[in-house]
Amino acid sequence: MEKEELKNKIFEYMQKYKGKKKLKEKDVWKGVGEETGVPGDEVKKALREMIDVGKLMYSYGGGASSVEIPSEEYLKEKGLL
Amino acid sequence: MSKKKHETPMLDELKKGPWPSFVKEIEKAAVKSETANDTLGQVEKSYRTRRGYWKHGGIVGVLGYGGGVIGRYTSLPEEFPGVKFFHTVRINQPSGWFYTSKALREICDIWDKYGSGLTNIHGSTGDLVLLGTNTESLEAIFAEYSSRGWDLGGSGSAMRTPSCCLGPARCEWSNINTLEINYQLTQEFQDELHRPAFPYKFKIKTSGCAVDCVASIARADLSIIGTWRGKIQIDQSEVQNYAKKGMNINAEIVNMCPTQCITYDGKEMKIDDAECSRCMHCIAKMTKALRPSGERGATLLMGSKAPIVVGSLLSWVIVPFIKLEPPYKELKELIRKMIEWWDENSKPRERIGEVIEIKGMRSFLEYIGVPPSPAQVKWPRKDPFIFFKDEDFEKVFKKGKY
Repeated sequence: MEKEELKNKIFEYMQKYKGKKKLKEKDVWKGVGEETGVPGDEVKKALREMIDVGKLMYSYGGGASSVEIPSEEYLKEKGLL
Repeated sequence: MSKKKHETPMLDELKKGPWPSFVKEIEKAAVKSETANDTLGQVEKSYRTRRGYWKHGGIVGVLGYGGGVIGRYTSLPEEFPGVKFFHTVRINQPSGWFYTSKALREICDIWDKYGSGLTNIHGSTGDLVLLGTNTESLEAIFAEYSSRGWDLGGSGSAMRTPSCCLGPARCEWSNINTLEINYQLTQEFQDELHRPAFPYKFKIKTSGCAVDCVASIARADLSIIGTWRGKIQIDQSEVQNYAKKGMNINAEIVNMCPTQCITYDGKEMKIDDAECSRCMHCIAKMTKALRPSGERGATLLMGSKAPIVVGSLLSWVIVPFIKLEPPYKELKELIRKMIEWWDENSKPRERIGEVIEIKGMRSFLEYIGVPPSPAQVKWPRKDPFIFFKDEDFEKVFKKGKY
């Protein structure tokens, strides 16, 4: 699978769980890996590239970290919107 | 210049007396910082009403990093606008907390520019903690510090910034090079430190001996504590000097030995080294008379934590003795295996010590490839059930015992 296509699959996966479940990085590697058949390491790499450009972001609550789709406010603050 | 905005009669009480006062320090910062000024007001209000007004968490940080910034806000932004945002920034400290005055000035100058000027040197995590800035300043703060060679520390479900005692730099009792071990582990786990992917936090602290100046046994998921394998060397003439100077050797040393392996008849001190647990009590008390000898290395202990999900735990022995020499390949591989097992077996927000308690030492030891040993026994078992696997029986039959 092309990397861009994989990134789209990751984003779709994140949208599916938005507001329903706090996803850890590992949940995404596993979940997308199972859906697409792409090895977890490749999903991890693609996920992190998305985080590096603000397509996804890390979040934190109750002592635990998760990955989320960023809000408009966050993107504005980072100069990405 | 900012005038004092709030009356603080209760905080003023904390300025009295000869000891240092955090109130005095915040007041100094408040002269030029609105944030520090409103911090005083809010803390005074908290003391008066007996409740806290800080909220924490949420979505703040620098691009690409999942840790190092902890979002903090006031729940009273109209009353205390200066602390509407009061984010904490963790800076990864150097091993052993050694700084030049030039480096400290550099850190403080940047912080005065973007933050409240308040610092916590150091936080209980070990990081150099900068207290109180707003969301817009975070990227600029990170750019300024990273361009000068500093990096953010860990927070959230990640490898936390490893910390260590000052070790061989200033202490003759250090059995291992705590500074180098800490530096190597920090470099090895950079990805895990900045990209939170663990079930919960994971802390590593390294002490050069069992005096444990960084309290690793109480505060780290993995406590690395320097130890030795040889005998304790005794200088009998120095033992006599301690007695002459008024030390009650039987009360202060012999009776305080946790394994009761020391005897003293008023003339000669003897130590049964086979029974010694290397706790350092006698050595730390009689520094001129006693000294470790022989091979040096470390004991690895696991599991300590504060009481959040379940009660607090102290670390217990996993590896009784391991040689620790650069590049620490064996240690790094072992830590990766420990984390893998934890990741596979835990629920969110469970620390590794809790998971070992739930799943049992057997499963953990088998996975990381460490043989069982009596030193790993935390306390005698309380239930009479022992679960054998088929291969246990095979091993016994192969040995021809039955």
